[in-house]
Amino acid sequence: MERYGEQYLEERKLVKRWAGPVPAIVSLVLTLAVFYLTWWIFQDPRGLMRMYTPYIGYMYCRWWLIMMIWMVYIFDFWPFKRKWLETAHPLVKGTVLTLVSVAILLALVKGFFEGLLGNFGLAYFNPEQLEKLPGVTSFFAVEYAALAILMFAAIASWLSPAWVVAMENAPWQKQGQPVRGFSILMVTFFLSTVVYFVTMHPHMGILYHPWQYFTSIAPPYWEQFADTVSGNFHVSWIMCCTVVVWLVETIWERYPFNLIRHDWTRRLATFFGIILIALAMHFFLYFAQELTWGEAVRGTRRAFAPDWRWLHVGEMAIFFLVPALFLTFYCDSWPKKFSMPVNVAVRTVISLVAAVLLYILYYKTSHLFLGTQKGFSHPQQFPMIPMIWLINIWLAHHWFMDNWPAWKMVPKTQEEIDAAHAAKKAQVDEVRMTPRFVTGMGAGVAMGVAFYAVTVWVLPAMYQIIDIIPK
Amino acid sequence: MSENIKRRDFLKGAVTGAGVGVLGAMGLYSYSGARKSLFTKTDRKMTDIGTCRKVKVTNISETSWFNNQTLVGDIKGAGGLLVDQYSYNWPPFGNGKGLGKGSYEAGMAMIKEYLPHDLDKAWEIAEANSVNPENAGGYAALLEVEELSGNTRKFLLDSGWSYKWMDECFKREGIDKMLENREIEALFISHEHFDHYWGLPVTLKYDPTITIYIPEGFYPEGKQYIKDAGHTGKLVAVKSGLCKHIPGMASYVFPIPIICRVYGEQSLYFNIKDKGLVSVTGCCHQGIIRFAETAYNELKYEKDQCHGIYGGLHISPFDDWDPKYDDLVISLERYGFERIGCNHCTGVLCAKKFITAGYPVVEGTARFRSKDKAYLGNGDTITFG
Repeated sequence: MERYGEQYLEERKLVKRWAGPVPAIVSLVLTLAVFYLTWWIFQDPRGLMRMYTPYIGYMYCRWWLIMMIWMVYIFDFWPFKRKWLETAHPLVKGTVLTLVSVAILLALVKGFFEGLLGNFGLAYFNPEQLEKLPGVTSFFAVEYAALAILMFAAIASWLSPAWVVAMENAPWQKQGQPVRGFSILMVTFFLSTVVYFVTMHPHMGILYHPWQYFTSIAPPYWEQFADTVSGNFHVSWIMCCTVVVWLVETIWERYPFNLIRHDWTRRLATFFGIILIALAMHFFLYFAQELTWGEAVRGTRRAFAPDWRWLHVGEMAIFFLVPALFLTFYCDSWPKKFSMPVNVAVRTVISLVAAVLLYILYYKTSHLFLGTQKGFSHPQQFPMIPMIWLINIWLAHHWFMDNWPAWKMVPKTQEEIDAAHAAKKAQVDEVRMTPRFVTGMGAGVAMGVAFYAVTVWVLPAMYQIIDIIPK
Repeated sequence: MSENIKRRDFLKGAVTGAGVGVLGAMGLYSYSGARKSLFTKTDRKMTDIGTCRKVKVTNISETSWFNNQTLVGDIKGAGGLLVDQYSYNWPPFGNGKGLGKGSYEAGMAMIKEYLPHDLDKAWEIAEANSVNPENAGGYAALLEVEELSGNTRKFLLDSGWSYKWMDECFKREGIDKMLENREIEALFISHEHFDHYWGLPVTLKYDPTITIYIPEGFYPEGKQYIKDAGHTGKLVAVKSGLCKHIPGMASYVFPIPIICRVYGEQSLYFNIKDKGLVSVTGCCHQGIIRFAETAYNELKYEKDQCHGIYGGLHISPFDDWDPKYDDLVISLERYGFERIGCNHCTGVLCAKKFITAGYPVVEGTARFRSKDKAYLGNGDTITFG
């Protein structure tokens, strides 16, 4: 039976062409070059297509990410056959698969959202429908529609991979492709739609004057809790969910959820655990802004506005994802020599430190080469766009091109696959709830709380020391 | 079980527990009411800027452009709101190459020899080489500050955009004569945006020696324009923060990024005797609430009262809307403004929402191409004090 790309990523062996860190450095330089070239062509406000309007570029950027997740994680590269995946040249594979992902992307945005939903359901998905309304200019008609479509993308980019990572494709894990893919696509799209209606639709409902009381809850129900009527409150935690899904999948190797033996308990714990971790990030990153910049003031603009602060939570979260993916894709998930909890902790610390450095570097320098402006808050500036654009390029490079040219893909032998599974199982089995583990855990919780307290205490002073925005 | 294994188990547990502890604390404490006890309480600086008796604002022009659809269509065609304003190919920097392909240098080369003495010729050339030149208007206001002694001092806030339109407006309000007679002490440029700044030669045509205050953060093209436009007077690049000018009048520069590649905005505060604080803005990209909060934190003012505000409040300049603007409409009540004279980038839609919410918006007369009586239009005046 044709397996398409089932377990392809796990069953491929990426062999370095050069020793040491050279392949990672070469890949970084190469992907950054592709990033900059494509940024200039598609996104840069000074470049060719200038899609960074910002919402048009943001929408395509987000949905392209999801297209690749669909193709690789949900559909296992279906309908591309395993033989072709293993033998085609990475450049050919990369080109073909990227073009297919873009074709699906355009069909989805133009056909499904703008064409179907926008013309026959909700006008705000279609710019032409919005332009018929008094006072709506063509520019903002496009921007509003793009905003609605990308808000849907934010949810889908959390739920689509979550079903694979947390729910382990259940209950369709034993189905072949494309049955499994379409089943998961349907259920995640359905869930995304439900979440969209209760988180983003009320935002769209007050985007036009007068408030659309008949079709959406206005003012939105989160107003008092979030200190804003803006849907950015939801963008924040949903972005954190997206980031946490990938942290769980990559640098955390699904730890500690993989310790749970019972299948459905593990799946549900992972799914809801991701949400709880995301909520913790969501609240902490908002608090961090309050500590460094001062309390938000409702109704104002920019850095002191609660709606922007919530959005910035999502932006900060994405900075965390970039080093985590680099560590996984190009550093072979270093380190691997310790126990799973220690490996996870080391990778988390590395990613955290790298994320902070990347954040500082971005705000210090990005305006010099991305065509953006210096400063944290800007109504038309979204660091999520360049970050996700870079991640997209890494995904295409890692998933579609097997890290070519610095690595060479060789299919693992059955013995190697079995050995990898055994090693993984041994790593999980090694973590047992012994009395010492429980004692250690108690001490760890205390240390974690103390670390949090110290962080909260030093953050304002640390921020004052680091002059992020150049004068 | 060996000691080594026990130690390893302890370490595994400790590492796992640390993660649980950090995340648990993050989730439970970070958005709790208890967190607010950690916020730094900053004392109000209460800087004394003195007092004045009253301020009269004459709206020379608030119609920065005449057709929203055209302007926003240009922005859309050129690549959106982050595109460098000098590359839109709008007048006066048109180079004949079309939308989104302009540059300051090429545009200026065509008109420099006519600045500032022959603006009709300069604008004629600009019209021939620019995109939608007929849509250009401009924003400018005359500020007449009466000191406690009864002496009145005059200042200009911004110089608009279209040479042709602004010259008409200056003549309509007598600004040309005031400048020629050196009655106007200084020109405050709120920010580098086309509609506030590119009409600079119109002011310089009548008084090239006038003192100009710009906020720090101007891009090189903007700085060069002052020279190319024929300015011979004193130029002051005001640093971020508070800057006192005359008793009862101060400017404040906010270091903020602004659409179309502009950085920094300068707004004005007036302390009116027995009335309170009056805020006058060009576009107020920093937001009126931050403007009011800054005044509260920095200044000492009469009766501790926000008396009034005038200017573009930058809420829905293109009649666009966003739920965060509703946050503003809902929250503005807390600040207790007694008179709101808004126009320009406030947006008609927002002015109407203010009126519906019961705010004291001073309505206008909708003359000289201003569109709606919901706010102060061209030629309208408002006096605080």
